[in-house]
Parts: sequence; structure tokens; C-alpha cells
Amino acid sequence: MNRKRPWLSVFLFASLSISLGIPLIVAALWSFIDPKNGWFAPDLFPRSYSLHFWQTTLNDGGILRSLILSLFIAVLVTFLSSVLALPTAYALARFPFRLKRFVELFILAPLIVPGLIVAVSLGTIFFRLGLAYSILGVVLVQTVGTLPFMIRVLTASLEAIPQDILLAGRTLGAKPLQVARHIVVPLARPGFIAGGLLTFISSFEEFDKTFIVGSPFVQTLPIKLWSFLGGQLIVFPNAAVVTFVLIAPILIIFFIAERFLKEDLLAAGMGKV
Amino acid sequence: MKKHLTVPLLLLPGVGYLLVFFGLPLFLAVAGGFGLFTLNAESRFTLGHYQSLFTDRAYRDSLLFTLYLAITSTLFSLVVSVPLAALLQLNFVGKAVFRAIYKIPLIVPSIVAAFLVLTLLDLGGVASRWFGLVGVSLPKLVRDPLAIGTLIALAWKNIPFMTLIIGGSLASINQDLPYAARTLGATPFVSFLRVQVPLALPGISAATLLVFIGNMAAFAIPNLLGPVYPLPLSIHMYQNAFELNEWGLVSAMGTFIGVVSGLVLLAYYALTNRAQRALEGRK
Repeated sequence: MNRKRPWLSVFLFASLSISLGIPLIVAALWSFIDPKNGWFAPDLFPRSYSLHFWQTTLNDGGILRSLILSLFIAVLVTFLSSVLALPTAYALARFPFRLKRFVELFILAPLIVPGLIVAVSLGTIFFRLGLAYSILGVVLVQTVGTLPFMIRVLTASLEAIPQDILLAGRTLGAKPLQVARHIVVPLARPGFIAGGLLTFISSFEEFDKTFIVGSPFVQTLPIKLWSFLGGQLIVFPNAAVVTFVLIAPILIIFFIAERFLKEDLLAAGMGKV
Repeated sequence: MKKHLTVPLLLLPGVGYLLVFFGLPLFLAVAGGFGLFTLNAESRFTLGHYQSLFTDRAYRDSLLFTLYLAITSTLFSLVVSVPLAALLQLNFVGKAVFRAIYKIPLIVPSIVAAFLVLTLLDLGGVASRWFGLVGVSLPKLVRDPLAIGTLIALAWKNIPFMTLIIGGSLASINQDLPYAARTLGATPFVSFLRVQVPLALPGISAATLLVFIGNMAAFAIPNLLGPVYPLPLSIHMYQNAFELNEWGLVSAMGTFIGVVSGLVLLAYYALTNRAQRALEGRK
């Protein structure tokens, strides 16, 4: 039954080229156009190419600042999510308690309730507290979206640690915190890495909540891209360059995460409602 | 440390955080829709915000348009994802490569998806030039009344996500069952439709549910690609909150989106329960 099915391959890869390849190639062409000739209808391809827009966009300090800010926020969100998620995931994985099902549902809720509602509401609360348009506000609102996923992934990987090992540690004289530090954290490392990388990505690419709470003062890369697209004049070549600056790190991290991640972990994080 | 305090203390960081930064804003959003605890007005119960939401023509059109976007784009994604997930269960040349690449839209920001659709499908975009070569003129697909560009961008983002979850569900089916169906004379297509799809229903409906709810609140994509009128509720929410300071109305809109999502969630539970019972009944 192990057939090769060449026609299926042709069909699937052709569909993928049209839906994913062509759009990315066109975006790449836009980033390399020559400002002398532009790229106007009815030209099917740009008449000449140049690095002009790559140079000007990358030399514009704003893009570099946005990139650094996005990375900084993503690191903070990942750190905050991991620190908050670990004890909670440990309790969910290790202890039976009353209302456990209820707590699990509550933790799942931010994945189901549209982030937009929470972001708008939180945005006005932050406004009163003076946190609106601040990096802290953006980190806090993004963490609402990433924490539930982190808790689920960590819970799954903590459930897999055999109870005997933890008890052995305690018997040999380790205090609970020492057990946590020397046994639980190292054994939960694959979950940490996979959950952490995906949290990093989802913070790095987050637009809606960041826009609502932070724009126009907190200019992460997606917000910067927005400013090239949503304004009065659309600046395609600049937007194309920012697109690649934005998705290059995401793709690299995603393919690293894939190596740590079993296919079903992603589905397990989202698929069981 | 007292034994009975261990679990609450461990739960506190994660659950406490979500209570403050998720539960509280959600509560205020629901209460605000009824005029309670609003930002710059006295707290008094009123149904006025809902009244204007359902009677004001712009908002009523917006409600219908939001539902139209959510339903159409979810169905569109579903129609592609189910067969795609099924094909990905088969062996073919380059399967590992395909499975690695097709997930890319999952992690690409929606605003990038909108930009890609814009460069290709906008009036005078590259696709219309290429189609022009063979004498086909593309209709208006960006800022068009039917929001086709919006639907394409949303589907582009959602199809890999749906395919991943449905594929996971299909893969976990006991492979003896489709074989048994085949042995009993079912064609591959009938076996897929009558055996595999019903067994994968929990995954299919979970994916449908999550995509539908996400589409109800989609913001960046309709903002860039959607028609100027009607606007989806998400954009009205943003404008009313930060440009018009109509917080009560914003809350009513948010609550409406939440209630529709909740109803879909209930339908999901009812559907999966019934499917579960039906499957067990046939044992």
C-alpha cells in the first residue's frame, strides 16, 4: 500500500506554489524594484531591479528600533508567561483538587473569547492607570493571549514526568523548591522550549492587541508595517521590505520549534476545547 | 507550608493573572454594555446601548456583515481543509517537505496576509495584469462590497490551522475501520464520508468553532481589505472606544460578539455529544 502517488504530489505542490509561493515572490519583487522605473501596470515584472528600498528602509533607524522593540517585548512576554505558567501547570498536572475542571475551562477561555474584546476593555483600564501606549501595557495584554497556551503545553509535559522521580528527590532530602529547580524544570525542558518558542512567535507577530493598547507610541514591527499600509498613501516597496524583516525571524524560530514539537502538541494546545 | 494551601498558592500566579487581566476586563465589558461601571458616565442600568446597536442602521448592517464574514470565510476554509487534511493522510512524494511548508501562514501575521492579497488582487495588482494577458479581467476584489479579498486573506490564514487540527483528528482514527468499510464494499470516497468524517467530527467542529470565533473579531484584514461600508463590528468597536469614547456601545458590541461565540460553543458541545452518543449507540 506504500504508493508514491506522483500526481497527488504535483497537485499539492502546484496549489502550494500558487497560494504561498507566488504571493511571497511578488512581495519579494516589490522589495527589489528600482525607484527610477517603479512597477506600474501593465508591466508584468519590474523593468529593473535595485537594492534601493532595502538600503533606505534598513538605514531608516525606525525599522531597526521597531525590530529591537519587537524582540524585547517578545522576550519579556515569553519570560513572564513561563514564570506565571510553571507553578499553575504544576498544580494542574500533579494535584487533584476540587473545581479542577472549572479552573481548566477558565484558563482555556482566553483562547476562545476574542482577544479584541479583552484588549479594548483592558485598553480603557490602562488608560485610567496611565499604562496606555506603554511597553508594559503591551506586554501585559499580549501575555493574556500567550499564558493559556503556555500553561497547556507545560501541563502536558509535566504530566509526563513520573511521580517516583519527584518522590525520590524528596526522600533523598531535597526541599520542594530544590526538587522544582533540579528535577522538574530540567525534565520539563522540551515543553519549555516548544511553548517558549511559540509564545515568542505569537508575541512577535501580534497585531490587534498591540495596536489597540500601544499604537501609535509603541511601534512594534507589525505596527510599523501597518503604518506603511493603512495610511493615506500605501508604500508597497517599503512594506515589502518590512514584511521580510518581520517574517524571517518568525520562520527561523518556527522551524527550530518544529524540531522540538511533536505535530500533535500544537493540536493538543488548541484542538481540545 | 500548610498542605491545604499548596494548590491555591501554585495556581495563584497563572489563574490570578488571568483573573485580573482577562476576567476583570471581560466583566467590565459585559457590565458596560448595560451602562454599569462605565468610564466617564454614572453607573445606571440601561438597555439603550443594545437598542442603538440593533436599531441604528449602520450598526445593524455591521452586525449582519460581521456574521456574513465569519460564516462565509469559515465555510470556505472548511471546504478546503477537510479534503486537504484527508489527502495529507496519504503517502506521496515530498510529503515531509509539504507538511513543513504548508503551515507557514499559521505564523505569518494577518497584516502580512492582507499585504500579500493587496499586491496581488488590488485593482491594477499583479494578478490582474497576468490575467489581462489571456483576456480575463478580474473583478474588484479589494474594498469590494462582497469582501472577496477579505475572505481570501482570512481563508489563507485559517486553512493551515484547520487542516492541522482536522488532520490530527483523522490520524487518530483506528485504521481498521476504514479498511473494514472498504472490505464491506464501500468506495474510498464513501468510506471517507461515512466513516472517517463522522469519527473526526470532534476535531472538525473544534477547528470550525475556533476559526469562526476568530473571524468574528478579525480586525487587521477587514480593515485593510474590506469595504468602506458596512464595517465589521471589530472596527466599530475600536473607533467607538478610542475615537468617539462611546464605551457603553463598545461593550454592547463586544458582548454581542461574545454571546454569538458562546452560542456557537454550545452548539459545538451539543453536536459532539450527539455524535458521541450516536457512535456509542451503534456499538
